[in-house]
This record gives sequence, structure tokens and C-alpha cells, in this order.
Amino acid sequence: MTDNKILRELIYQLADDNFIHSYRGSEWLGLVPHIEEDVAYSSITQDTMGHAYMFYKLLEEMGEGNSDELAHARKPKDFRNAILLEEKNGTGTYLDNPDYDWAFTVVRNLFYNVYKETQLESLKQSSYEPLSITARKIETEQYYHLMHWKTWFMQLMQSTEEARTRMENAIRRVWKDFGGVISQGRYADEFSARKYIEPEEVLGQRCLDKLGELCKSVDFNLEGKPGMEKGNGRNGEHTEDLKQALETLSEVYFSDAEASSW
Amino acid sequence: MEEKFYKEFEVFSRRRSDLPMEHRFSILAPNLEMAYILAKENFFRRESIHDLWVVERSNIRRMSEEEREGFKRIDNKHYRETKGYADLPKQWRKLEEMLSSEG
Amino acid sequence: MVTAYEFRHLSEEEKYERFMERIERGEKIEAHDWMPDDYRTNLIKLIAMHGISEIMGAFPEKEWVPKAPTLHRKLAIMAKVQDEVGHGQLLLRVAEDLMKPLGKDREDIMQDLFEKRLKFHNVFHMPAPTWADAAIIAWLVDGAAILTQTMLLKTSYGPYGRALKRICQEESFHAKHGESLVLALASGSDYQRKMLQEALNRWWEPLLMFFGPRSAKEVGHSKVDVNIKYKIRSKTNEELRQEFLTKYVPQIKRLGLTIPDETLRFDEDKQQWIYKDPDWEKFKQIINGNGPKTDSRLKLRRDSYEKTAWVREALAKYNKNRMLVG
Repeated sequence: MTDNKILRELIYQLADDNFIHSYRGSEWLGLVPHIEEDVAYSSITQDTMGHAYMFYKLLEEMGEGNSDELAHARKPKDFRNAILLEEKNGTGTYLDNPDYDWAFTVVRNLFYNVYKETQLESLKQSSYEPLSITARKIETEQYYHLMHWKTWFMQLMQSTEEARTRMENAIRRVWKDFGGVISQGRYADEFSARKYIEPEEVLGQRCLDKLGELCKSVDFNLEGKPGMEKGNGRNGEHTEDLKQALETLSEVYFSDAEASSW
Repeated sequence: MEEKFYKEFEVFSRRRSDLPMEHRFSILAPNLEMAYILAKENFFRRESIHDLWVVERSNIRRMSEEEREGFKRIDNKHYRETKGYADLPKQWRKLEEMLSSEG
Repeated sequence: MVTAYEFRHLSEEEKYERFMERIERGEKIEAHDWMPDDYRTNLIKLIAMHGISEIMGAFPEKEWVPKAPTLHRKLAIMAKVQDEVGHGQLLLRVAEDLMKPLGKDREDIMQDLFEKRLKFHNVFHMPAPTWADAAIIAWLVDGAAILTQTMLLKTSYGPYGRALKRICQEESFHAKHGESLVLALASGSDYQRKMLQEALNRWWEPLLMFFGPRSAKEVGHSKVDVNIKYKIRSKTNEELRQEFLTKYVPQIKRLGLTIPDETLRFDEDKQQWIYKDPDWEKFKQIINGNGPKTDSRLKLRRDSYEKTAWVREALAKYNKNRMLVG
């Protein structure tokens, strides 16, 4: 494979993670536990969509096609996001009978953002300069995102029995597929050989150490290695949840073949 | 602390280092830390922010309507304002005239 | 003017007189100032309704946030709907401070909403079945709201005015966002133009209704007169509706759209718009909680509020100095 193709594989992982993660956040609009939180969470969701946009723009500049087309018109098998991030927030849809799990959302968002922070730190040293510049920009907004989800995590973990039980269940659920987040997919060795990003094992361990510390501070032990039960999204393996997400995300985009702009 | 989710917090911020703290608005939050992270995005989605304070409202001693009337002053304190010294140029001139006539 | 000593000994009637003098002088009333009961109750009614309308206003557009057709549109509509929720937050805080002496808080507002005791604007009971509806909402519903809110900026109630100042600043972005959406559709394909026209047809009557009836005659009661007496508001419903028509009818025509009212015209002699009256009986039904989307949207709000009750309960008990579990 060419260098360029390898590099694009990595950027698709970054773009798609942020895109799908933002989508799951946007589904919470109007449904979160508190009105003030609705506003705060929506900012994070917007920022994250903005990050996806920046990564798609990098791909556009590499000749992959228009960024809107990349976000809306690819097949699920061409997506490189981690499966954990495509998982639904709960049963129902965002318009009809949503039964969304706030504990799962807090844990997933915190765990992913701890990984994202680790990833951005490494990408700042990337041999591909546009990527390192983008990572540095994104890092400015990452601080608040992490602070936000850490606050929710720490407080819910130290509140009522019910909340603790829900949070621990959520951690176990997230853990089952968190391996798919830290995976860099089948081209992992090529990424680090070309110094686009540090090796999967190094980044993964750094992230798991941070998570271990966080959990320990609220008396929870993260046991064993995180799993990848539903498959590896980095290699194009996905679930029905992604298919549905993409159908929603591109419904209007595909509604009129004649439309040249929206 | 009272076991209540909806507590009132007042939010203050400074836009730039050379500007004073200004009251922004209030929010409901269960505790100070949560109030702080919520305040950030509820009031500073667009504008820049140099400093941010959140204070639980119960910690604030507020002025009453009676006190607003009671804290008014009579307009007789020119001696503590610059406008009470408007005659200084006149006095300078007087002094100069005096000195020159002496000389 | 009274001194603090006199103030302390004022009878209720004298307080009322002093209050009305303050209103007449254009002074702003603050949350903890003395105010007549009907001033407080009218403010609560008006501002709680305004606030909860912003909150419920997220739902017609909610569907279109992820579905927006480009990354840029996704970002912009997300920001716009977020602002609406933010406006709801500001307004609810104003209403909550007024309700506090009555022993009520946000919890009561939510319960009043769920039980249909607290009403919200007619437009947010209506379906928004296409992307063009999101465009019409952003352009015209927000356009109508800007006129109302600008009129209210000078309100005699200080905290309401301060909230509105912030709201109006953000609304100017919404107006541009809406204008950009309708312009793209109006200059697009046949499908896009048709979708836009159909959305306008759906929204025209709700938009005229939005300003409320001309007088109490149409619906049997109205708070407009009292609110004008207390300088809570300065214009009548009809004055605002006329302003709306003056501002938007020419623009709608410029877009190449047809307004679904053949009788609509500007009467030069009377210097006012003549239009087909909306069905005020239908209006009454809608705001009393019987609109086409009332129940499904209230269900969304209520279910999510109830399903996340454990979160509010947990954080009410959280105390960083004391581990409750573990």
C-alpha cells in the first residue's frame, strides 16, 4: 500500500470517530437530565462535529472527495470508527420512545475522551504536518470536554447506591468494547513505522493507565484488558446501529438527486 | 448542605483582564463544581472569557428595597468630588495677580 | 419619592401607588421589590410560558439536527437549537425567581408542563415533517419571535429585560441562519422549491396565530391590557402581526413563494394589512394542549425527565466531602 493510502486510513478513523460520537450526542437534545446540561452537552457535541469536519477536510485536501460526500455518502463498511461509539444511547429512537441511559453516556463519553486526549497528544508529534496542526487546534477544546465528563463521572460514582450500580454496569458494558477504541486496525504497524502516530500498545497503555487512576480514585478497579466483542470498526466491521445512524444522517442529503446545494 | 438538586448559583465573569467582573445570570445546579462547568457553556458559548466565578446565592447578602431607599444620600457632598473644586483656576489667577502687583 | 423610614410604614395602597409611580417613571422593577400580586402572577404566566415555549421549541427542530444535509448545516442548526434551550434556561430562571415566594421551583414548572397547566406557544404544537419546515421555522417563527422579543426589551420587569437583551443578540444569528436556509431551497431544484412552498403553506396560519388574538373577543380572555398598563409590554398583538406582515410579505414574494391567502393585501387608506383571520377556535384548542403534536412532544419531555430522575436524586445527595457509598 502507498503511504498516502495508509495515512488516509488513519484519518478516516479520526474523522469517523468524531462524526459518529457527535451524532450520538445530538440525539440527546431535549432529553438530558437537566436543562442547563442540555446546553453544555450540546456545545461539546458541536465541537466534536467541528473536529470531524476538520478531519474530513484533511481527507478532502488529499483528494478523497468533498467532505460532505465523505460524511454522508459512504457505505457502512467504509467507516473506520470504533463500534463502541456507534452503539445506540438506549432503546427506541431519538424521536420515538427513547429510553436512553445517562450512565452509559457519561462513561462512554469520559472513556472515549480520555483516549482522544491521549491520541491528540501523540498526533501533535505526527510526521504528517497537517495532522499535527489539526491535533493542536482540537486540543484547545478537549480540555473542557474532559473536565465536563470527569465531573459527571466522579459525582455519580460517589452519590447514591442506585447511581453507583448504574455507573458500574455502564463501565462493564463500555469495557466490553473499549478495545475497539484503542485499536488502530490492521494498519497499526504501518502508522507507527511512518511516525503518523505512536504505536497502538503505547497509546493504549497510556490511556488505560489514566482510566485506571480515575476509577481508582472512586474505588473502582478496572479488571483485565478491555474487549472487542462486537468486532473491530477500524477494519470496517460494524453493527446495525451504524447502518441506522448513517441512514438518519444522510436522509436529507440523499432526498433529492437534483439538488446541487442545500 | 441541603439535599436538593435545584440550587441557585450566580455567575460572574470578566471578559478581558482590563475589565471588571460582571454579573452574567443565574443557573440551577446541584453543587458548586457542577454549577461551574454548566455556567461555562450556558453563558460563554460565543464570547471570550478571562475569569469565571460562581457563587451559591445563599452566600450572598443582597440589598432590600428599603435599603435601596435608605442608602441614598443628600446632594451636599461636593467637597468629596472634583466638581466641588471648580474654582481652582480662578484662585490661581487671583494668586498670580496678587504676586505680580506685589512684584 | 419616599425615605426608607416612610417606606417601612407604607400601607398596601400607598405601596401600590408608589409602584405605579415607578412604572410611570420608567423605572425597572427587581425580583425582590414590592409588587402587586397581579403584576407577579401576570409576569409568571407570561415568562414561564415564554421560557417553556423555548424549551418545547427544541422538539420540532430536533428531528432535523442530525438530518441536516451538510456538515455546515448540521453545525448551524445544532447551535441554533442549543440557543433556544439556552433562552429557555434564562427565562425559566426569571420565572423561577418570581415563583419562589409562592413556594414553587423548576420541579413545579416541569410538572405544570406535563399536566398541561403551563401552556406553550401554538407553533410548537405543530408538525415539522420536512427539512423545509426547519427552514421556515428558523426564518419565520424566529422572525416573529424577534419582533415580540424586541418589543418586550423595554419591559418594566428588570430581570426579564436583561434576559431578553441577551436573547435578542443571539436571535440575530438565528434570523441569518433561517434566511440562508430558505434562500438555498428557493434557489434550488424543483423538489427543493416545492418542499419550501409546502412548508410555508403549513406554517402560514400558525404564524398569524403566533401573535395571539386581536382582542379578548376572539378567545374569551386576554392579559394584553393589564400587561400594557404595567408596561410589561408596549404593543398589542395586532400591532405586532402588522409589523410581521410588513417585514416578511415582500421578502416571501421575493423568494418566488406564494402566500396561501388570496385575500391578503395592504389597505392604503387604513394603512394596514387585510388578511384572512386564522381559526381562533383552533388556536384555543391548540394552546390548551390539543395540537397535532402536543401529546407526543410532551411524552418525549416527560418520559426523559422521569427516566433521568435517578440522576437528579443522586446529585442532590452528592457531597464531595463525604463518600456515600464504597
